[in-house]
Amino acid sequence: MDSIIEAFSKAFTLIINFNAELLGIIFLSLKVSGTALVVATIIGLPLSALISFKKFPLKGLFISVLNTFMGLPPVVVGLFVYLLLSRSGPLGFMGLLYTPSAMVIAQTILALPIIASLSNSAIVSVEPIVKQASMTLGATTLQVSLTIIREARYGIMSGVIAAFGRVMAEVGAILIVGGNIAGYTRVMTTTIALETDKGNFELALALGIILLAISLFINSALHLIQKKGMAQTNR
Amino acid sequence: MVIKINYLVLLAIFSVVVFSSGALATTEIICASTTSTENSGLFSYILPIFEKKTGIKVKVVARGTGAAIEMGKRGDADVAFVHAKEQEMKAVEEGFFVSRHDVMYNDFVIIGPNNDPAKIKGIKSTTEAFKKIAESSQFISRGDNSGTNTKELSIWKKVAIDPKGQKWYLEVGQGMEKTQRIANEKRAYTLTDRGTWLATKDKLEMVIVLEGDPSLFNQYGVMAVNPVRLSESAGAEKVPFIKYKEAMEFISWLISKEGQQAIASFKDKNGNQLFIPNAK
Amino acid sequence: MSLKLAVSNIWKSYAGNNVLQDCSFLFDIYGTYVIMGPNGCGKSTFLRICALLEEPDAGEINYFSNNNALKKDVELRRKITLVLPKVGIFNATVFNNTAYGLKIRGVKHIKIEEKVNSALDFVGLIHKRHHNALTLSSGEAQRMGIARAMVINPEILFLDEPTASVDQKNIEIIEDMILKIKKQGAPTVIMATHDTGQAQRLADILLEIKEKKISLL
Repeated sequence: MDSIIEAFSKAFTLIINFNAELLGIIFLSLKVSGTALVVATIIGLPLSALISFKKFPLKGLFISVLNTFMGLPPVVVGLFVYLLLSRSGPLGFMGLLYTPSAMVIAQTILALPIIASLSNSAIVSVEPIVKQASMTLGATTLQVSLTIIREARYGIMSGVIAAFGRVMAEVGAILIVGGNIAGYTRVMTTTIALETDKGNFELALALGIILLAISLFINSALHLIQKKGMAQTNR
Repeated sequence: MVIKINYLVLLAIFSVVVFSSGALATTEIICASTTSTENSGLFSYILPIFEKKTGIKVKVVARGTGAAIEMGKRGDADVAFVHAKEQEMKAVEEGFFVSRHDVMYNDFVIIGPNNDPAKIKGIKSTTEAFKKIAESSQFISRGDNSGTNTKELSIWKKVAIDPKGQKWYLEVGQGMEKTQRIANEKRAYTLTDRGTWLATKDKLEMVIVLEGDPSLFNQYGVMAVNPVRLSESAGAEKVPFIKYKEAMEFISWLISKEGQQAIASFKDKNGNQLFIPNAK
Repeated sequence: MSLKLAVSNIWKSYAGNNVLQDCSFLFDIYGTYVIMGPNGCGKSTFLRICALLEEPDAGEINYFSNNNALKKDVELRRKITLVLPKVGIFNATVFNNTAYGLKIRGVKHIKIEEKVNSALDFVGLIHKRHHNALTLSSGEAQRMGIARAMVINPEILFLDEPTASVDQKNIEIIEDMILKIKKQGAPTVIMATHDTGQAQRLADILLEIKEKKISLL
């Protein structure tokens, strides 16, 4: 029990005396996960629109697969990306293994199904009258689709929040493809794993607290925007 | 429309971030090493010295010895810095690596609970100690094909005990620190390198029960990934990503007088010298 | 500028139930057409087919300009508009809802500002332009729906039960608006209502859907 209290007090001391290395690690975490989130949204949103608006064979199966992929084990994704990017692998020529880019790729794969699947749910649950109203006002097919996506924006944001939570907390995939290289691919979660290994529980705990605080901050901000948008819907 | 514009902006940001971070700097090499070596703090001490002298940045990816050698075989590293001489020599024989050199050594020690329930203290021979642990206590094994694990298995072979699957033998498949902690929690014995032990002993309720046996000698070696062999197996004319020249520069430095001195002057936070340079 | 609508022998059924049978009518003059009939008689279906939201099972809808049949493309759809009974509000401000039709037509910002403000003034909602449209009462929503339709200067404006779920005060306001449009002479209004009194008050031409057929009264 004492050691836990001690760890907490040391954790707070570390947080107060932010050092450059710690800041670098935090910044890299945000950069990697943030980029992955942006890429996953850029790919996932049009994909979800395609699934929502187009009919194609085996659509039901495709959606089931997508839903299943929401729970992809990070280590499996890590292994897959490792084999892909390894210099002996098909994309080895790009020299991306053990770089932040490799971590972005792995996290994008983890975030993509969540964003695509939850966006799809949000889009299909937009009331049909919105589509009809848009049509009566002279929208082209593309404009109708964009209007529906706009109406689904708060649901889509939920998907992005969920994906953010997943990639920020993830350690299995980025450890394999990033290599946890000090000052280069070492992020918060991999540092926590490493420091726990070394028995430096205080530092690990401090990072854990910071990670939670950042997640809390970003989630509350997004949640606030979302709540504002949703509240207006209930009349 | 608005959405479209946002997309373009995001795409632009993305490409900048990804491609800038993925830029190939010619002065960087990847060194596959072991968790115990990295966690000892040796690299963060000697690599800046090397980088300052040559401008070559060495990025260390720490894995178990087995995985580290595998990384080199796949071409995912340029140089390997590990401590399992037999495995290293085998990989060199197979042609995956060249220019293997001894760099330094430390030694392994057997650690156990403070009260030493199996009464190992006083025994001089490692094989005797292992036999006694097998009879009367528990042994925690790395079980991860690491250098320490390889060493441990060779000792079991010498005493003609097959520990796999035995009740008293736990293979945890973890790094050295974690294995030590598991031994600590289970009140069991384990084999560890002295460097890791010195770094972690304050957090453990354990003591060294046997040390100084010549058979616990732990030799570290360095070797360069063989670019020729890799290109043969890849079928390509040349694997351009292996930075052989820079890797050789790193190896030469490690075994040079200057590199050896750097290793000797590396001390842990308690002022103990962790590695003894012995390059020939 | 003379758009005519010819409805020829259209049939429509939902899940095996016939709603419209062999309906034909020619809308060829300006003014206000009012289609009467009890709830569920097929007025809405008739309007939705005319407004190109749905396809008839059989028969044809044709729009003519100077005796040339027009292709049923976006260009034609942009000359007509239908205000749905429940409007179909976008989760945005009253201003942006009203501006929608102009934005998708790529109208310049200043022009949008001017037109939307004058339309909101016309329906008496200018003071609520920055409110989220989802907070409007059903009467206000209906008025916004009409403003949203009017800003795009349609040649034909379809109104589907504009006062069905609206309080008395708003019924009067909306009827007043329709009478003003009638006085302006444009656009042609084709509306459906179950309220006979309202039909009498507003119509130039009274129609009725009875036993799945449309006819002049």
